[in-house]
Amino acid sequence: MVYFILKRLVQSVFVMLAVAFLAFSLFRFVGDPITGVETSVADQERLRDELGLNDPFIFQFGRFTRDMLQGDFGFSYRTRQPVAEMIADRIPATLELGVVALLISLIVGIPAGVYTALRPRGVATQAILMTTLVGVSIPTFVIGIMLIFIFGVQLGWLPTFGRGGTIEIGGWETSLFTLEGWRALLLPALTLGVYQLTLTMRLVRAEMMEVMRSDYIRFAMARGVPMRKLHYRHALANTMVPVITIIGLQFGGVIAFSIVTESVFQWPGMGLLFLESIRFVDIPVMGVYLVVIAFFFVLVNLIVDLLYVAIDPRLRIRDVQ
Amino acid sequence: MNRRDLRKTALVGSALMFCAMGASAETLRWASTTDPQTMDPHAVNSAPVLSFLNNVYEGLVRRGQDMSIEPSLAASWEPLEGENGWRFNLREGVTFQNGAAFTAEDVMFSYQRASDEAADVRAWLAPASEARVVADFTTDFVTTAPNPLFPDSIANFMILDKDWAESNDAALPARDAENFATMNVNGTGPFTVATRDPGVRTTLVPNENWWDEVGHNITEAVFTPIGNSATGLAALLSGEIDFIQPIPLQDVALVEGRDGFQVLEGEETRVIMFGFGHEHETLLYSSDVTDSNPFADPRVRLAAAHAIDIASIDRVLFRGKIEPASQLVPAGISGFSEANQDRPAFDQDRARALLAEAGYPDGFSFGLKCPNDRYINDEALCRAAASMFAAVGLDAELSTGPVRDYWPQLREDDFDMYLLGWSPGTFDMEHPIRFLMHSQDDEKKLGSWNFGNYSNARVDELLPQIQQEIDPAARQTMIDEIIAITQEEVAYIPLYTQPLIWAAKDSVSLTQRADNFFMLRWVTVN
Repeated sequence: MVYFILKRLVQSVFVMLAVAFLAFSLFRFVGDPITGVETSVADQERLRDELGLNDPFIFQFGRFTRDMLQGDFGFSYRTRQPVAEMIADRIPATLELGVVALLISLIVGIPAGVYTALRPRGVATQAILMTTLVGVSIPTFVIGIMLIFIFGVQLGWLPTFGRGGTIEIGGWETSLFTLEGWRALLLPALTLGVYQLTLTMRLVRAEMMEVMRSDYIRFAMARGVPMRKLHYRHALANTMVPVITIIGLQFGGVIAFSIVTESVFQWPGMGLLFLESIRFVDIPVMGVYLVVIAFFFVLVNLIVDLLYVAIDPRLRIRDVQ
Repeated sequence: MNRRDLRKTALVGSALMFCAMGASAETLRWASTTDPQTMDPHAVNSAPVLSFLNNVYEGLVRRGQDMSIEPSLAASWEPLEGENGWRFNLREGVTFQNGAAFTAEDVMFSYQRASDEAADVRAWLAPASEARVVADFTTDFVTTAPNPLFPDSIANFMILDKDWAESNDAALPARDAENFATMNVNGTGPFTVATRDPGVRTTLVPNENWWDEVGHNITEAVFTPIGNSATGLAALLSGEIDFIQPIPLQDVALVEGRDGFQVLEGEETRVIMFGFGHEHETLLYSSDVTDSNPFADPRVRLAAAHAIDIASIDRVLFRGKIEPASQLVPAGISGFSEANQDRPAFDQDRARALLAEAGYPDGFSFGLKCPNDRYINDEALCRAAASMFAAVGLDAELSTGPVRDYWPQLREDDFDMYLLGWSPGTFDMEHPIRFLMHSQDDEKKLGSWNFGNYSNARVDELLPQIQQEIDPAARQTMIDEIIAITQEEVAYIPLYTQPLIWAAKDSVSLTQRADNFFMLRWVTVN
């Protein structure tokens, strides 16, 4: 098991290197970080030299990787702050948003999936399926703007932008412990979670219907196992394996694609920082952000693999053999 | 009390809290699209930084509500006798926000700091060859040539406390890493920064010991950058912020239609224009004329100017909010040439005749480059202009892109015709002449934004004379001559002055200055 984890971690380094390489080869096309109306041509050239922008691409990439491996994440071109600090400051906002979005999608999505699987012809099922079809078809930013318009502008119930009521606990700035924080979190988390929710629900429903048709459920039914136990103990547990895979993999996506939601709600997370950095061609921040996101993906995949083992006894048995 | 009651109470409580926050009249919450990237007034020459820091730091002179120059840290100034330059008599009894006294040493220190290689603002001080401390409250700035505009041109040159900067290792602006002055401030201005979370939230509180008469009633000002304009508008309409700059043109009606909100409209000083590849040998993007550059012929440039229907652009794209421009600064800016206020009329027949006369009776195709995120409606403007050009036979192949990609293309001469907006940094006609009309001269740092390298010997000859002329009438005569020449040769096609649109709650009264700077000292909240 330890060997397995180590192997995955070593692989992750290569994944991150590959991402950094791809990112760097694209950075040449994002534009010129040196602007300034009144900066003279000579000064601009000097600045480019100082930042190493005139070096060949492979040199710039080599320098970036070398510094990264030594734990030096560099300084932002735009604000001159250390990049590691800038990203670390923004991680709590993005993670809390992602986790709450995921929780919303699970708490609503799994029961809804089970319900619609068990009562495939019910009126409520049809209504839920129709609603989720709408939810999955509308782009995230439109959902976000609609929610802002309804709950922020028209009804005035919830704040329309930013993070509120944050308190710091051991260096982690959280908004999960105040009412104000939750009020600000609700709309962005819903926006980010809607797609996940529909996906979870449809997945659970499909898997559940599949499982309910299988032989062991029929035998269990014939043996007179109570319906409640049958549904939740036997059927649902077997449904969860593929569901966890997909949800897990999607979580990496939730973190990475929170960019859109963060932009719509001015949510001060990593995605918003990334967008600002693109606008100002802040290459160090863009590079580190992409590597961090790659790391998240690798980490989430690893956790999914480990969860598999915990949920599916067959994998454990094979491991022992 | 059961759980539901508890929750209800909590909700009511928070609602009350929210109302209380809204009712405390002296807190101003405002938003703009870009966060100032540093708190160091010499590190970055960009509008968001300078606009913000003008509330905290002060220069020797400052601009009033109508952009006029008025005394600030210098109580008065006069030309030096016997040499070129200016003497500034400093205001006595001014203290920095940390309590230290302001003296000539601080001015000297700030001059050295701001003209260092590490400073992005050093171009402002380039005309000065040296600064001298004459007495505790007297500083001389020696200039390389007579420079009547020098005091006007340093309104954004802000003064730091020498001891504060040196003792905090911030004697020079941050170059590679941040330094103390990137995040901390110590100015003489009306406000000081209380908390700062870059990119998220910055709060300001009044400086109790400010030397000037206080005209605002703010006890706290909270700034939030909101990049997405729809989010910013929603924040204003839901009451979470009191003021936002700018709002998109298409949302003006939405804000005006709601009770309790106001739209503030003005003219920015930025003139939008088309420029040409004057010195190009051939067109780069033409499918029919590949052996010459028709835009080298002033008749072709004039034809392009006559093809533009500025009234339709105003009506359709800008809802009647733009002011057509005849030259590179709007009326009201010093140096504006009253004698040359006519712009080429919209006249398609004349345009066709001019093209025929120049040898292109059927027109020709060329490439038009435009940014799509720099100016208001820039891409739509270029689409409209392209179809207007096409109507007289000028077949414009339009390509648009984000501004961070756009400047490098212009610098590499990768255009036949391009769109440019110019705001005169010194609020004087000399500024666009120096940057856009003088021939490119890297050594003298002239013509650095004259991408097509428009070149006229007489213009080049007149510019240094204009820079040094003390007599306003003689100066204006020379400027008028340059404007007449460049209009006749159609160096550029000036289109219009860009509108400036802010929105606020009715309860906020503020001043919209033409440079788009937002000064907290003129704000009152009722």
